[in-house]
Amino acid sequence: MYGWIWRHLPGNAWVRAFISFVLILAAVYVLFQYVFPWAEPLLPFGDVTVDGQNGSNGS
Amino acid sequence: MAARTERNAVERPDTETAPSRWKPRGRIAAAIGVFGELLITAGLVLGLFVAYSLWWTNVLADREAGKQGDEVRQQWESSAPGARDIKGGAGFLHVPAMKNGEVLVTEGTDTERLNAGVAGYYTEPVKAALPWDKQGNFSLAAHRDGHGAKFHNIDKLKDGDSIVFETKDTWYVYKVYATLPETSKYNVKVLDPVPKESGKSEPGRYITLTTCTPVLTSKYRYVVWGELERTEKVDEKRTPPAELR
Repeated sequence: MYGWIWRHLPGNAWVRAFISFVLILAAVYVLFQYVFPWAEPLLPFGDVTVDGQNGSNGS
Repeated sequence: MAARTERNAVERPDTETAPSRWKPRGRIAAAIGVFGELLITAGLVLGLFVAYSLWWTNVLADREAGKQGDEVRQQWESSAPGARDIKGGAGFLHVPAMKNGEVLVTEGTDTERLNAGVAGYYTEPVKAALPWDKQGNFSLAAHRDGHGAKFHNIDKLKDGDSIVFETKDTWYVYKVYATLPETSKYNVKVLDPVPKESGKSEPGRYITLTTCTPVLTSKYRYVVWGELERTEKVDEKRTPPAELR
């Protein structure tokens, strides 16, 4: 996969390395900006309040 | 720049070696290789997610909380003495034992609010009293990890530690008298105006801090109760009370 990408990038090794770096940065940006903020509420790590709304002990 | 001049020299051996390295591998080997690369990628993405949760959300939340806090302080300076406007935030929480400076306190505990790196006072399931109310429970929630992690060090709070709440005109000095290191998230009674689980039976002016525990998970809730000890008027230089000096 990565080998395939590398072979299809234009230019010599330095140019390819530079383009790869830019692609990695773009991937990280998309993850931090869009994917992780979307995924985070779906995971049970950030619930800090007590609320009995869906529990038997609720008021 | 230097790379461009080298281009012709480097390109030839590159195009020769690449296919010759690739062709002998069978389809199965190639498929396994791609699968392995996907696994590595998944590992890296998970690692990045950890960095996002524990570091980047803090950066964003601290920035947002700083901005909102500045607005509140500016508003305090410009508004008439005695006037109370808590739309932007009720005030600032200072907990010396948590060693995290001041925490802006705003209304509501929904995720979106708390993600701004603030502590929220409950509006439901049990509505919080505010510090200036004659009696009741000033109940707060904030993140333990990520998004500012404002209550990360809640476990450092011991009986007798002070919790100071700063408003435009008054310092409210609370003393911790009870902690509940682990309780169910359904235990909304901890927010009651008279929190019986803390051992109190008389109405008074209480403060309740809630967050999740153990760290990095949301399995249980950690609760700390305090009671108002005294109030101090804010002087012109906003000299903090002895507990914060």
